[in-house]
Amino acid sequence: MPRPARRDTARIALTAALLALAVIWLLPIVWVVVTSLKTTENIIRLPPEWIPWPATASHYGEVLLSSSRTARIGRAFANSLVIALGTVVLVLLTSAMAAYALARLRFPGRNVIFALFIGSLMVPNAVVLVPQYVLTQRLGWLSTYQGLIVPEAAATFAFGVFLLRQFFLTMPGELEDAARIDGANVWQVFTRIVLPLSQPVIAALAIFTFRAAWNDFLWPLIAVNKPEMFPLPVALALLRSAYSSESYGPIMAGAALSALPLLVVFIVANRRIVEGVRLSGLKG
Amino acid sequence: MSDGARRRRREVTRTAYLFLAPGLALFVLFRVYPLLEGLRLSFTNARLGRPAVAFVGLDNYARLLADTRFHVSLVNTAFYTVASTIPILVLPLLLALALNRGALRTVLRSVFFFPFTLSVVTVGLAWLWLLDPVIGPFNYYLRTLGVPTRSWLADPQTAMWAIILTTVWWVTGYYLVVYLAGLQDVPRDLYEAAALDGAGGWRSFWAITLPLLRPVLLFVVVTHVIGSFQLFGQVFVLTGGGPGDATRTVVQHLFEAAFQNFFQFGAASAMAWVLFAVILVFSVVQFRLLRGHTEY
Repeated sequence: MPRPARRDTARIALTAALLALAVIWLLPIVWVVVTSLKTTENIIRLPPEWIPWPATASHYGEVLLSSSRTARIGRAFANSLVIALGTVVLVLLTSAMAAYALARLRFPGRNVIFALFIGSLMVPNAVVLVPQYVLTQRLGWLSTYQGLIVPEAAATFAFGVFLLRQFFLTMPGELEDAARIDGANVWQVFTRIVLPLSQPVIAALAIFTFRAAWNDFLWPLIAVNKPEMFPLPVALALLRSAYSSESYGPIMAGAALSALPLLVVFIVANRRIVEGVRLSGLKG
Repeated sequence: MSDGARRRRREVTRTAYLFLAPGLALFVLFRVYPLLEGLRLSFTNARLGRPAVAFVGLDNYARLLADTRFHVSLVNTAFYTVASTIPILVLPLLLALALNRGALRTVLRSVFFFPFTLSVVTVGLAWLWLLDPVIGPFNYYLRTLGVPTRSWLADPQTAMWAIILTTVWWVTGYYLVVYLAGLQDVPRDLYEAAALDGAGGWRSFWAITLPLLRPVLLFVVVTHVIGSFQLFGQVFVLTGGGPGDATRTVVQHLFEAAFQNFFQFGAASAMAWVLFAVILVFSVVQFRLLRGHTEY
């Protein structure tokens, strides 16, 4: 049966409108990258030029290597990698173990503990900011990696438990039963059977955690006061004040660099990210 | 119960708590304890480095009643939350409906989602440059179109709207993916049945899609409200709370009280708990408004 011509036209118009909007949506990012590649005198030229010609990598060189400015993006980049990866490892380890116990073992206190975890999801991070600072200071952890990793992990832990527990509950238990009959203990069942079968959801949680830790701004702004320990967002914010409005080139080069790791993750694991958001949305 | 069964149960309990131990330690030390310690601090005159901390009752809360800058911050934050809720509820939903069965679904979804992978600072810097009043492209193209321009971030009338625009650009893709997931869970045969009964696209949207999406809408609103009341990064980068106090927010006020002006931990903790209470009230109201029967 041929479709009515009017509906086809409407569909084409809708697709065209969506494409136009998508292009507009990308313009700010394109503009950042274009600016970062322009020479300083071309950056301030009007009308705006969308092709960076002649192109230069000098702004990247300046923010990565130059030590004359307060914020060194190269070092901050490395700091952020350590912090984000450390947080991912800590969150995966603690929340997978806790979620497995809550999903598969019956023990007194189980419901109370799970209710506490879920309840904590409603507590805004800003509410614990000051006491968390006092605690971190008492531990001597200000301006250290652990002072950034551990609170960051604590903020994501309960969500990780929730996400993984849901997944463990939907897994058929036969394989685990079979392994137990063969004499495997709980730890062996967990590490050799449950974890390998949970790779998709673990990957989703890893990406979610990495993104949160890589991008967090407020906590490191407070908890770090040595420039060489700044993670990227803090270093970038300070880079801006270091340059004032004198030049957007180095600032945009820093901004583009900060987007790089998640861009790579995004391209490689697009489906995992969407899956992670979908699973996280289910908590509503 | 036999001795053996009891021993087995004790063993399971021991195993369970061994599995929970690392997570519980993290959770108690860095979530539960700070939450309660914050409440305690809010009744004290604690400051960084002050050796003797005294209990001052409700003094910190009473002082907030008189703190006009705190009131301004609270009003700004509430304005931002309410004003941004409509675009953040509607725009991603429209996009999700348009993308749901379209051909370019995967590609377009990725495009809209991409800004969400950026940090708030990166987003802020990009928009600071786009909105630059003199050499920024935003104003340049407005001028060529003959639209009157202004310094959006330096004008008290528009600064908060510029921050809302930036945030909508940042988070739309996230909520789009949430909505798309919700739409996928709507059974197709419901639409087919409605079409057989002669219901058009608009009718079936109101009668089928929207009611079935209610839990997703609730999730979006509650998530957005909890996040919005903690608005800080965008303001820090784009306006610094200015012009004047036009975009000053609660978390900024708290941040400055606790970490820039005399490190007033007691007063800042009181602000944190007021903020917490406001967020709880908003969340409960939304639960009441949006909860309903979604069984089919």
